[in-house]
Amino acid sequence: MTDSQNTTRADNLAWVAGSDAPEKCMLNLGFMPLTDSASLIVAATQGFAQPYGLTLNLQRQSSWASLRDKLLCGELDAAQALYGQVYGIELGIGGPSAEMAILMGLCQNGQAINLSEPLKRVGVTSSEALGRHVRHDGARLTFAQTFPTGTHAMWLNYWLAAQGIHPLRDVDTVVVPPSQMVAHLKAARIDGFCAGGPWGALAVEQGQGFTLATSQMIWPDHPEKVLGVTREFVERYPNTARALTMAVLEASRFIDGSLENRRSTAQLISGSDYVDVPLSAVEPRFLGHYQDGLGNAWEDRHPLRFHGDGQVNMPYLSDGIWFMTQFRRWGLLRDDPDYLAVAQRVQRLDIYRQAAEALGIEVPPLMRSATLIDGRTWDGSDPAGYARSFPIHALAGNARAIAL
Amino acid sequence: MLRILLINDTARKVGRLKAALVEAGFEVIDESGLTIDLPARVEAIRPDVVLIDTESPGRDVMEQVVLVSRDQPRPIVMFTDEHDPKVMRQAIQAGVSAYIVEGIQADRLQPILDVAMARFESDQALRAQISARDQQLAERKRIELAKGLLMKMKNCNEEEAYTLMRRQAMSRQQKLLQVAEQIIAMHDMLGH
Repeated sequence: MTDSQNTTRADNLAWVAGSDAPEKCMLNLGFMPLTDSASLIVAATQGFAQPYGLTLNLQRQSSWASLRDKLLCGELDAAQALYGQVYGIELGIGGPSAEMAILMGLCQNGQAINLSEPLKRVGVTSSEALGRHVRHDGARLTFAQTFPTGTHAMWLNYWLAAQGIHPLRDVDTVVVPPSQMVAHLKAARIDGFCAGGPWGALAVEQGQGFTLATSQMIWPDHPEKVLGVTREFVERYPNTARALTMAVLEASRFIDGSLENRRSTAQLISGSDYVDVPLSAVEPRFLGHYQDGLGNAWEDRHPLRFHGDGQVNMPYLSDGIWFMTQFRRWGLLRDDPDYLAVAQRVQRLDIYRQAAEALGIEVPPLMRSATLIDGRTWDGSDPAGYARSFPIHALAGNARAIAL
Repeated sequence: MLRILLINDTARKVGRLKAALVEAGFEVIDESGLTIDLPARVEAIRPDVVLIDTESPGRDVMEQVVLVSRDQPRPIVMFTDEHDPKVMRQAIQAGVSAYIVEGIQADRLQPILDVAMARFESDQALRAQISARDQQLAERKRIELAKGLLMKMKNCNEEEAYTLMRRQAMSRQQKLLQVAEQIIAMHDMLGH
């Protein structure tokens, strides 16, 4: 069934080079209602895929787990995915295990940890105050993130631990799809959440909460969403994988190309078929203008970005390995995997390199280095030692601490 | 008797599914609305089977249930994990995900899935129709045609025509194709 649809091709539109035409022309592309889905939405709707002989059918998903299942069973060909989620699937943590591939990075930065109005009213408006509230006042707070192996779980854990709060012992954690965060905050079922845009900005706009930390404060220019497919997909349709990567790379370059393009992108994605929120909740942070709901406003030096001359899109091995070190740190992995080997399998550097080079986009080194909020530097070397180096952790021997 | 926890926090009506399951002799515990406390509910109810709609926002919570139960004496196993991928595909296309608690016999699951799949067959037929229409590659020809018309009308090059069309499409939250159709329609109306 899936193959028959590929026989229909408009003849005058045949891929110029002939032999490297996409093996599959119609792709179902999954995305979540999030600001950082922008490059996929732009690629699919603004004619970036057609020149490669691809038609991208966007399919909005209501949960990360559903998106994952549809990707694994082939109902989706490719999807926006949380960086950590892809590694969670590859390693079979908490769900079905499958061989996965990351074609490219979709974005960096732009997530946030947000707290509720009631906390603001009792003066918990700084990380120090939060620490005092949790440790000395004995408050039992509930934080929401979006998926057990996702990026937001890792940002939340990392940030809390950097404040001396043990994320698995000192607070409760629940999983909530991003688009439901504000409603749960409003109903006082959660005290705070970590999620991508526009949901932090919307909480501020609706007077339901404030942004205490951005994810770029935790790790400037951190990896976030990726373009995920199964390894089977890449192996079966290598030309399609490359064409898809090129289309999304071009859309990413377009978005970051000018302020006007950014504005029109914000306008497009706020529509009801995509993120479905008022433009006012999307555009400011999309352009780097931040307001935290505590009266502070700033131009962020590391706002959400989609291309950065290719630095955003490069599937760095060190980025992939970092998520595995955090899985290890929090007990999701009970043993050290062969970090480098797993990352080399998942990150499809071959496809990315071909796509980037064809578009004249520079391909940076495979490892990169950054200093995170707790002063620790991550450069991709010695992942096992790095995972073990944190004073607050849940390494093996404490099975109960795994998820709650 | 097999106890089924039916999670229903989507707009979709599951009344018929529930009725069919009850009729087939299952005890159905119907949960609607919030699933944020799903881990606690599953722990309290200890169902034999959890049936949850793939479109349910609560699906992500289910991941937490699986993780929490990882070290319990009665681990929750994802049904689709240990079976033929074709079955997983069918179940997901039917709109249902099933998670089972260890100890259930596979032959008892079949009727559950059959019923669930019957329930969603009509949805599926509709979806297939829509996706068939989506598969028309005529889209690209229309964009090329509109671009050509615009190049003539505006006396501009290909790149400029594309930029104009994209600006228009994005500011109206439309696809490039829709703008292309508007240009073609306008051109037809003006009689070239």
